[in-house]
Amino acid sequence: MLETSTFTEITLNHYLALSAILFSLGMAGVLLRRNLIVLLMSIELMLNAVNISFVAFAKYTGKIDGQVMVFFVMTIAAAEAAVGLALAVSIFKRFKEVNIRFFEHLKG
Amino acid sequence: MTADAFLFWFLSLVTLASGLSVIFMTNPIYSALSLAMTMIGVAALFVTLDAYFLAGVQLIVYAGAVMVLFVMVLMLFDLKHEVQAFSRGRLTGAIKIASVGILSGLIVGAVTMGLKPAAMAVFAVDGASNPVVVDTTKALSENLFLKNVLGFEILGVMLLVIAVGVVALSRSKGGTHARD
Repeated sequence: MLETSTFTEITLNHYLALSAILFSLGMAGVLLRRNLIVLLMSIELMLNAVNISFVAFAKYTGKIDGQVMVFFVMTIAAAEAAVGLALAVSIFKRFKEVNIRFFEHLKG
Repeated sequence: MTADAFLFWFLSLVTLASGLSVIFMTNPIYSALSLAMTMIGVAALFVTLDAYFLAGVQLIVYAGAVMVLFVMVLMLFDLKHEVQAFSRGRLTGAIKIASVGILSGLIVGAVTMGLKPAAMAVFAVDGASNPVVVDTTKALSENLFLKNVLGFEILGVMLLVIAVGVVALSRSKGGTHARD
């Protein structure tokens, strides 16, 4: 089935498949873990997977716009991590734990 | 096997292995270290894709700043091994894993089957009509500061707002300086 050129010749598809698998790993982390910090890390994993496919498209189509988009995604991701961690700190101060189930008591 | 192919397979192995250990380590500190390894792997993948500036930014912003943020918060919490790291319920867990597997399979299948050589030829022609960028850093800066300068400015304002908001959030009732 698989020819040897699948392994020796790296195409856009290889990078897209890698990005898809990494995205699914991040999604599994968000669904399965209960620790808020690990949840945020999984979200970062998903954002990185998207970045890989942006850069791969930017290279294989010869346009630079994909890389500019990665720049924007990185900024948003850093901001999102800061807000998420601040929320985690406020949860921890109140409940002495960072389990996601305490988020239903966030009011007040 | 050429050096390019070897590099790709090696880097994807490193990235996926450390990505897996982010999810399956029960100690959050190990998860954070695995995430740092993943970020470094992604930065190296950017180098193989000729995005040198983005690789540097990835190392500085992700592997540097964001990871330091994560590790600092983890040390602030002083978390031990979690009693219940994963969500409860075998059935729902199986459903979640199955849904992730189906999504992954769908995407990989669509990618490997959808982009046949004919579709790739379209890209190649497209790439030929506008010459392949060699000096990607220069092209990136020109695009960023000429075409997308409004987005760049908006991101600056947004970062300022976020910084103020985060400080307000962590100093609010029950924050780090609460007296009770």
